[in-house]
Amino acid sequence: MEDEKFDCIIVGGGVAGCAAAYTLAKNNCKILLVEKGEWTGSKNVSGGVLWGPTASEIFPALLDETEDPPFERYVDRRRLSFMTDDASFSIDYKNQDFAKRPYNGVSVLRSKFDKWLGEQVEQAISESDYPEDSFVATEIVVDDLVFEGEKIVGIKAGEDEFLADCVIIAEGINNLLTRKAGFLEQTTDAHLVATGIKEVWQFDQDLLEAKFQLDGLSGMSNEFVGCTQGVEGGGFLYTNRDTISIGLVLGIASLRDHGKAVYDLLDHFKEHPSIAPILKGGKMIEYSAHVVPVGDIRAVPKKLYKPGAMVVGDSAGLLMNTGKSIEGMNMAMESGRQAALAVVEAKKKADFSANSLSCYQDKLAETFVLQDMHNFQGAVRFIHNEDMFTTYPQLINDIMKQVFLVDGSPKKKTRDIVKDCIDDSGISYYELMKTAISGGLYL
Amino acid sequence: MSISVKDRLITVKNNISKKPHILVDTEICDSGCPHQCTTNVCPAKCYEIIDGKMRFQYEDCIECGTCYYACDQGAVSWSYPESGHGISFKQG
Repeated sequence: MEDEKFDCIIVGGGVAGCAAAYTLAKNNCKILLVEKGEWTGSKNVSGGVLWGPTASEIFPALLDETEDPPFERYVDRRRLSFMTDDASFSIDYKNQDFAKRPYNGVSVLRSKFDKWLGEQVEQAISESDYPEDSFVATEIVVDDLVFEGEKIVGIKAGEDEFLADCVIIAEGINNLLTRKAGFLEQTTDAHLVATGIKEVWQFDQDLLEAKFQLDGLSGMSNEFVGCTQGVEGGGFLYTNRDTISIGLVLGIASLRDHGKAVYDLLDHFKEHPSIAPILKGGKMIEYSAHVVPVGDIRAVPKKLYKPGAMVVGDSAGLLMNTGKSIEGMNMAMESGRQAALAVVEAKKKADFSANSLSCYQDKLAETFVLQDMHNFQGAVRFIHNEDMFTTYPQLINDIMKQVFLVDGSPKKKTRDIVKDCIDDSGISYYELMKTAISGGLYL
Repeated sequence: MSISVKDRLITVKNNISKKPHILVDTEICDSGCPHQCTTNVCPAKCYEIIDGKMRFQYEDCIECGTCYYACDQGAVSWSYPESGHGISFKQG
């Protein structure tokens, strides 16, 4: 394996790296996919819902299996909940259209899902022109890149060097190589990243389906705002086959300022009167955590290509968060596909210069990935605003309480309830108007 | 519903390397760090203040990267465990 020069080495067997490797193998390139874990996915974590059609466009087999597909459930029911410590107000939406292929979103458990992706890559390799010369290599930690002047020509792992015309860096958010390659500065401001903390709870499958009114492979995603004790961020609950993924995503700078322990915040969320009954009858089977980008364009390298290298997925900070959903995995997969297609073009021209690989960024700019990231930068600032996860959830719940309250005294009309609650909240009408307008503008 | 961090970590398979993959210069933490935030941001409780001093152990690390981004004092040198070591999730 060491003596061979590859067309492309892909560092990282996550959704981005597997999408890139699969696309390359399908296009008859000689590849090496390097993964540090025991298998592709063994060290990977996400919330996680994989949104949109990208995954099944790249891996059509994703939709072939109807009995036991590699994903957990398709999401045809969305719920957004605004919480205070003792109340919650939810928007609940279900649509049969979301139950149709290629599905609006599917819940995934990454250790299983990315393992399947890795198997698909191996399958594609076996059907390519290089069945004996392309590899998926696990348990290899890449320490550094190999440079030839400015050009990146390979990777170093321990004593070994592997050479290639091009390297696709798909190492994830803890992007040491991305920095070594010079795509980013040595440090990233903690305001531009968050940490996700999650527990997977297992249930009897019938019980789980009854709890969430699920049918067959249908599933629900629920996002929560106001459940983080003033720390920037929110909660999530996704249904899997016989488990749920429940957790929080918390701004790291905000955690630093508040001094609250992440596991205590998670416990507090799980003890909420709307959540605790859900967990009854279940068993916590896995705890995990991982850093995530927050979707701020300032964390994205200006140029996603260099001579002999490209950066994709979380390594490049590609993510969109509008509060109603977080899209990271689909962006990772699309960027992996586009980087791979750039390699295919570069191989035809036998030109792996920065100029030649720049078509990756041009192509990505035409897709939803960079379009959505740029268009929703206002949303990043909007949901950073502390009122969004403190004052507003409180206000909404105060209003709803008065709307539904029957306490034997004469009732107020809705208009007066809203006016009184706003007066009590301390938010000025100017602030409220500003928030409403920016919400409409940015989200 | 509250579960101790220790009981949470039992659910994750961890082939601990003899070689620490994260190095922490605790002198920086002990001499005037304004927040010592690793003690509250780390989901695996790898950082604790004991007898007024920062203590770090890498053995419970679940490789999330939070301390890598959270420390703004230059105390944390972060990397992954050597090949064949560290955590493996069953669910992920």
